[in-house]
Amino acid sequence: MAEIILAFVQALLLVLLAPLVSGTARWMRAKMHARKGPSILQDYYDIAKLLKRQDVGTAHSSFVFRITPPLFFGCMLVLACGVPMITRFCPVPALGDVITVVYLLALPRFFFALAAVDSSDAYAGIGGVRELIVGVLVEPALMLGLFVAALATGTTNIGEMGVAVGSLQVTSPVGLVIAGIAFAMACYIELGKVPFDMAEAEQEIQEGPLSEYSGPSLAMLKVSLAMKQVIMAAFFVAVFMPFGSAVDCTLPALIAGAAVFAVKLIVVFFICSLVENSMMRVRYKLMGRQTWAVVGVAALGLVFCILGI
Amino acid sequence: MSNTDKPLRAGESHVQAVRATFPGSVKDVSWQASDQVTITVETDMLPDVVEFLYWKRGGWLPNMVGNDERAINGHYALYYLLSMEEQDTCFCTVRALVDPDTCEFPSVTPRVPACVWSEREVRDLFGLRPVGIPDERRLVLPDDWPDELYPLRKDSMDYRRRPEPSTDVENYRFLYEGEAEEVTEMPMGPMHITSDEPGHFRLFVEGETIVDADYRLFYVHRGMEKVAETRLNYDAVTFLADRICGICGCAHSVAYAEAVERAQGIEVPLRAQYIRALVLEVERLHSHLLNLGLVCHYCGFDTGFQHFFRVREKAMDMAELLTGARKTYGLNLIGGVRRDILAEQKGETVRLVRELRNDVEALVDMLLSTQNFESRTKGVGILDPKIARAFSPVGPCVRGSGFTRDVRFDHPFDGYAHLSGFAARSHDGCDVQSRTLVRIEEFMDSLAMIEALLDDAPTGPILTEDWTYEPHKFAIGYTEAPRGEDVHWAMTGDNQKCYRWRAKAATYSNWPILRYMFRGNTVSDAAVIVGSMDPCYSCTDRVTVVDVNTRKSKVLTKTQLEDYAYNRTHSPLKD
Repeated sequence: MAEIILAFVQALLLVLLAPLVSGTARWMRAKMHARKGPSILQDYYDIAKLLKRQDVGTAHSSFVFRITPPLFFGCMLVLACGVPMITRFCPVPALGDVITVVYLLALPRFFFALAAVDSSDAYAGIGGVRELIVGVLVEPALMLGLFVAALATGTTNIGEMGVAVGSLQVTSPVGLVIAGIAFAMACYIELGKVPFDMAEAEQEIQEGPLSEYSGPSLAMLKVSLAMKQVIMAAFFVAVFMPFGSAVDCTLPALIAGAAVFAVKLIVVFFICSLVENSMMRVRYKLMGRQTWAVVGVAALGLVFCILGI
Repeated sequence: MSNTDKPLRAGESHVQAVRATFPGSVKDVSWQASDQVTITVETDMLPDVVEFLYWKRGGWLPNMVGNDERAINGHYALYYLLSMEEQDTCFCTVRALVDPDTCEFPSVTPRVPACVWSEREVRDLFGLRPVGIPDERRLVLPDDWPDELYPLRKDSMDYRRRPEPSTDVENYRFLYEGEAEEVTEMPMGPMHITSDEPGHFRLFVEGETIVDADYRLFYVHRGMEKVAETRLNYDAVTFLADRICGICGCAHSVAYAEAVERAQGIEVPLRAQYIRALVLEVERLHSHLLNLGLVCHYCGFDTGFQHFFRVREKAMDMAELLTGARKTYGLNLIGGVRRDILAEQKGETVRLVRELRNDVEALVDMLLSTQNFESRTKGVGILDPKIARAFSPVGPCVRGSGFTRDVRFDHPFDGYAHLSGFAARSHDGCDVQSRTLVRIEEFMDSLAMIEALLDDAPTGPILTEDWTYEPHKFAIGYTEAPRGEDVHWAMTGDNQKCYRWRAKAATYSNWPILRYMFRGNTVSDAAVIVGSMDPCYSCTDRVTVVDVNTRKSKVLTKTQLEDYAYNRTHSPLKD
């Protein structure tokens, strides 16, 4: 029972705190630009303002365009219940299977791309196609990295993987580390930050799929995207760096786990900011080269794993 | 003709060549300045003569001017300005008269594509029809402008009035010249996220590849030339010319001032010439830093963008130090400059130059070593040298395609005539990267030039008032603005006003080649390609946008404004 409550509290907290995380990322970005930058609460202000605005869609768009924001948001909520963040185990074990998680990430992506094409905006359409291509290119690396972890720990449940890694009881540590590196790179691409912000590339295609959304729909998408970033980070941390998270459901352990999770998030997003702010956007056509390198690293991990090193 | 013993005047060899090739076509030859000659030819021979000078004698076409000379000689006149750069360097103008009854002249565009915009403009503003021009669409006038109203004709309209809109719909046709059959039309603009000014690009794409592109500009044409002819005295136009551009204002006012000075035979004091060159270089500093920052921005590297802008502040400080304003405005007068450079300003400028050199060298190293810089800029936005030769583009755009065109060195003027050890920079990659590298090198040259100009500037007066005004004299003034050459043509009138002033901003020459630079690239490169041209929308349009909120309009008294200008506190616009 406590786990179920934890799952809901965790999801609720994520909704409430995701804009803070994205706001902090913006603030960090500004500091690296030598700018004064917005307040870390800026994303809350933006969302509050958007919620007051009218929701307008293009004339030729269908229900797909309408249901995408709630669907995206819903998927993220479900994920937030399942992915371990402050605990080492999954609050809802049924939602903690890697296959479930990866498909829950793929579903909103599919609808996001579909809605982009549906909006009949040329830029959004290009963004939608790019979104799908990024998915196709990144998912092999993502899956391969997870399979290595699954082989090394003997389970496909994120929580149990975390427990195994946390207690250092894995069959092939080197394979796991390499898979972790590949998975981290794949997660970074999933975050949709420069140099891989293909679908939204502001200067190229004017925010792509987002460009036709307005008002509450846009607010919902913005929250969802921020949540997705935290979930991706949590996903990585849960499987490959579970050290320090709460092992049981007592209050002191949860508080300690929350503090450790906050520190891990700050470190992850700081590293992301460094990468994001020191690179130019990859040319869309050359994206495949970079993602294949990531797949290559993951494959290397698999080799080590099979050899049992 | 002149005595055979005397050396030939500048441009005389071109005149002789024209006479020899087209016997009987030359009606008149006159020199406006030591390096400026105007040949009046039979109107029917116009395309032949311009083609001959352009292709056979190494001419480039920076500008073409239409003029309503019915009050002077009963005709309209066209002036095709050619910058002769291969041999006997000079400006060689081909002038032809147009019959006011037929209002037609043979188009030069099919022979020399560089004329296309100017001829479309002359059709819009004077109603002179270029017979045989391939592209007969409007260029300058908005879609809802009445058909038979030609604003620059002397008798057409009161500049304060605007005619009733003749239509409510946009009826500009975008032309597709590609070969692929199934293309998607993608609008880029009129307002686009990467540009602060309006310009409507229509991209014809196949997947993400741009097959062809067309564009519509002049959304903000306010008609500065008409204002100058009707409202301002000729000596006040320098201040209006400043306002053509928010970046290179000084380049325009120097070009205008020198057009009038050459026409009137005014000898500008040497110190003023140095100061003008110096301020032009300061302008280049901040303009090139702007563009280097924007290249970063368009490639998604906002860190570089912000840091270039941080360093750019020093160039703005330098501008403020030398001209009194962050924008290099209000410096030029006919006959010299308004503001001298004092010893402490000189010292401070030298210090800023050193700081800028260190800062920018570090930033440039960073830019060139940034991940993906090479892949985003190399081979992107190719400007074929053949296209460049046909369309006479200017500035880093043409210099990035292997040509060493630079007015500062082709036709040395002002302080540049006294500098040594500098040459036009060029790269032959023909792509965005080459244009960026040209800008980087020019930036470093500018720093060295500023130091040299400060050291060498002679003492003496900065303004001469020793001349008598003569009406109906015309000449060309030219400067190398950061984006390329600004070529102005001015004719004085008999009422202390400009009879005709034609201002050509650098980018005006560059827009027509953009279509070719787009082709074969992807939509994601579009912004960086436009950016590599360093375009100036409103300069091309020759306007400034005035935002008037009619409900809350507030009239400031002169004293209020002056107080604010002196004290810089208590803005009268804020309540």
